[in-house]
Amino acid sequence: MNFIVDYYFDFTGTVFTDGNFDAILSGFWITIKLSIISGILGLTWGLILAVLRQLPGRPLAPVRWLAIGYIDVFRGIPLLLVLLLISGISVFGAPIGGEVLPKSIASPTWFGQTSPFWYGVFGLTITYGAYMAEVYRAGIESVPGGQMEAARSLGMSHGQAMRFVIVPQAVRRVIPPLLNDFIALMKDTSLVSVLGAVEVVQAGRDIQSETYNGTGLVMGAILFLIVTIPLARLVDYLIAREQRRVGRSGGSDDGGGEEVASDPALVGGGGMTA
Amino acid sequence: MSAETPTPPDAGGPMLKLEGVCKRFGKLEVLRGVDLELRRGEVVCVLGPSGSGKSTLLRCINLLEPPEEGRIMLEGTEITGEGMKDGVDFVRQRVGMVFQSFNLFPHKCARDNVSLAQVKVLDRGQAEADEKAESLLRRVGLSAKLDEYPDRLSGGQQQRVAIARALAMDPHVMLFDEVTSALDPELVKEVLDVMRELAEEGMTMIVVTHEIGFAREVGTRVVFMDAGVVIESGPPAEVLDNPKHERTRRFLGLVLEH
Repeated sequence: MNFIVDYYFDFTGTVFTDGNFDAILSGFWITIKLSIISGILGLTWGLILAVLRQLPGRPLAPVRWLAIGYIDVFRGIPLLLVLLLISGISVFGAPIGGEVLPKSIASPTWFGQTSPFWYGVFGLTITYGAYMAEVYRAGIESVPGGQMEAARSLGMSHGQAMRFVIVPQAVRRVIPPLLNDFIALMKDTSLVSVLGAVEVVQAGRDIQSETYNGTGLVMGAILFLIVTIPLARLVDYLIAREQRRVGRSGGSDDGGGEEVASDPALVGGGGMTA
Repeated sequence: MSAETPTPPDAGGPMLKLEGVCKRFGKLEVLRGVDLELRRGEVVCVLGPSGSGKSTLLRCINLLEPPEEGRIMLEGTEITGEGMKDGVDFVRQRVGMVFQSFNLFPHKCARDNVSLAQVKVLDRGQAEADEKAESLLRRVGLSAKLDEYPDRLSGGQQQRVAIARALAMDPHVMLFDEVTSALDPELVKEVLDVMRELAEEGMTMIVVTHEIGFAREVGTRVVFMDAGVVIESGPPAEVLDNPKHERTRRFLGLVLEH
């Protein structure tokens, strides 16, 4: 059994030597930056998609179909494939993109980050935007229909009712599932390593191939857990709090929270991305 | 309240007039030609078995469910058919509605529930809207609950907030859709009392209800509906004590049995 300890838990010999720990930490810093930037952009893009999908009226049906088609496509293909398609445009595919697009867009190096970093941000955003759009939609649809009717009967337009009545209620309900999606997104940043970004998993692999030892990867796992476990606990806490709130207003008709609890899109948002 | 309601130019004509209003949901005919006329200050109580189309009638009147056939005239202006496009705004600025399930905004306190639409729809200033909200909540007996959220209020209190919320828009007609049906029995009276007061102040009201006592005491007219049509209509004493129609008799027999 000693070889297991030696291979996975040799912290003094593998991680805390030769600046390896610094390499892992700076890799993790890339992971964090990828997660936060893609997370914020994905949240925004997802909300836009969800609102487009809910637009009322027949003339806007094509917009709804486009939004639904987009969501279906990006929920249905692997993130890895999306990343490879994006990066292919300029890294491997010779100058296909380079001829058409200016270099600053085909091979972006904005804010001192590498092109693979930005390809990663783009791929994560357009994919997780589709996941998050579905969470928003479930949230909007979980608000009881009587809310829209009450707002409309007071003279509000559809847009006013959405903005002041429906979305504020929906957002509170979707925070836990969106956080779940964020945890999944954070783990999926490791896929960006295939494009050449040295995030924490790539940093661990580099150490592994230098030292023939897996402890660097274990260190990466530990860093992930330091962030993801508290986030998961926070999700549990928020769900429990929401259920207490719903329980208190139980008798009245404007609770509607049970629908949330039983809605798969709202409970296990990150499930299909693993 | 009545002092704040501006008098329309056609004060002499009917406030609200329905002619042959029909509504279908798929193949189900819910309303099959309803005629109804309402004068200013009338309190019309609509009775009838469940499924008779009472609630749908109210929802047609404020165009939550646009009728497929027939005409609805509000203060002399047709809100159906050609007039429909502007009809929605026209009718919702003049007709307030209170729902069986209250439908208060759960993320807003009582005061904000009453002031929100005043600010967003009527362009009132926040201070003015809050002041109006507070005075209306005082009127319905909730001056101590201004800052409470709906989930901290009893059903009766929530329903009174909902009435205040509708009144804040200065409606000319109020629609009440079985507003006491979801309430515990001991909470019904406080809501009916508010409605009675409103009626005494001259508000024009259509009240869909199962409260026969309220219909008798407060209603100026009782309308009995069954299977999507008005079966009979007249003064409460006449319809309730001396119904002409067999179906009305049977319904009242069932309701008054115990």
